[in-house]
Amino acid sequence: MVTSLLSTDDLGQARALVEASGLRFEAPYDDLVGVFEAGRLVAVGARQGRVLKMLAVAPAHQGGTLLDEVVTELVGRGYQDGVDSFFVFTSPALVPGFEALNFNLLVASGTTALLEYGDGLRRYLSRYAKQIRAGNNGAIVANCNPFTLGHRYLIEQAAAAVDQLFLFVVREERSLFPFGARLRMVQEGTADLGNVVVLDTSWYAVSSITFPTYFLKGGDPGGAIQMELDLLLFARRIAPHFHVKTRFVGSEPWCGTTAAYNEAMHRILPPLDVAVQEIERKSAMDRPISASRVRDMLLNGELEGIAELVPVSTLDFLLSSEGIKIWVKGESK
Amino acid sequence: MKIVKKAQAGTMQSSDLMVFLEPAETLTVTIESTVVKQFGALIRAKVDEVLEKHGIESGEVRITDRGALDYAIEARLETAIMRATEG
Repeated sequence: MVTSLLSTDDLGQARALVEASGLRFEAPYDDLVGVFEAGRLVAVGARQGRVLKMLAVAPAHQGGTLLDEVVTELVGRGYQDGVDSFFVFTSPALVPGFEALNFNLLVASGTTALLEYGDGLRRYLSRYAKQIRAGNNGAIVANCNPFTLGHRYLIEQAAAAVDQLFLFVVREERSLFPFGARLRMVQEGTADLGNVVVLDTSWYAVSSITFPTYFLKGGDPGGAIQMELDLLLFARRIAPHFHVKTRFVGSEPWCGTTAAYNEAMHRILPPLDVAVQEIERKSAMDRPISASRVRDMLLNGELEGIAELVPVSTLDFLLSSEGIKIWVKGESK
Repeated sequence: MKIVKKAQAGTMQSSDLMVFLEPAETLTVTIESTVVKQFGALIRAKVDEVLEKHGIESGEVRITDRGALDYAIEARLETAIMRATEG
């Protein structure tokens, strides 16, 4: 029977089993469960948000149904918690075992494979089927937290160079402005550009699944692998579906994580037939425009200069009662 | 009956299936199975039959199957329906 692992002894056994399987015991998690046999923990697994991790079965007990039982329990509990899609990172050698449980391989690099339970990616892609025309299309992935004249400039440059430009707005709720507000600012700020299609990234680009360190300050060494998976997933699964031949990105003078991501883009995408075009950032008042600069000004109450950095549609939103609530709340943090 | 809340039934083990139900405006059924090529149509027919029997006309139905027999499909789906419709 699969049970929650809560006591100090449970956790000690869990850590030993996880580490004996060559994995790291990583807190935090939402659920940690396992199966005991004669007082010994023989199978373990954890869930953090949508990600299943630390899945391990003692060598003498492999080949049975223990992994199935642990994954069933984690998915069942996660579903009750409101999570409707699940991902697992594992080694490429273990992919067939997960495929037998109805996991689908999203992407694999040399050392890591990312699988998804269910067919979320296919459903995500088919949602946009009607908006796609074959041609020389381009893509931008952006958080737009908030939408600035810098984004607008990048989009204009890119849209002029392609037949159709797909603008993926990062779905993840880890930013000052919630997704709904960011999406609206982008839609209003690009409404006049006929060949720009605004859509959301779901969990499949720059998300806490594919690229968790994007949302952390300072980054971490493990982030490099996931950055690579994020880009491989984009090149192999997303770009072909949208007939995207070029990914456009703004140059990144400050943020180390984003600069490293841009660098990885140049390395990983072109061999997979996606060109990368880096466009020099637009400046205002002698400094490049960035969303973080706008956020700093908002949080410091320097409202006068902001009109130079964002389009009217964004300014209207920032100064609306809904917008003010968001950044005043941020200020108090 | 009407699906009024999320519910789930079943396991991921071999010869079993997982059923996920969620309220939705329209009825959508997605089936994933390790034997979808051979038995996809039969699974779908069984699912439709059970949904109809319980008068389920809207909701999102997701099924991931590992080769369950038809009465297992019926039992798991009915269990999930009971859980999703009870007050």
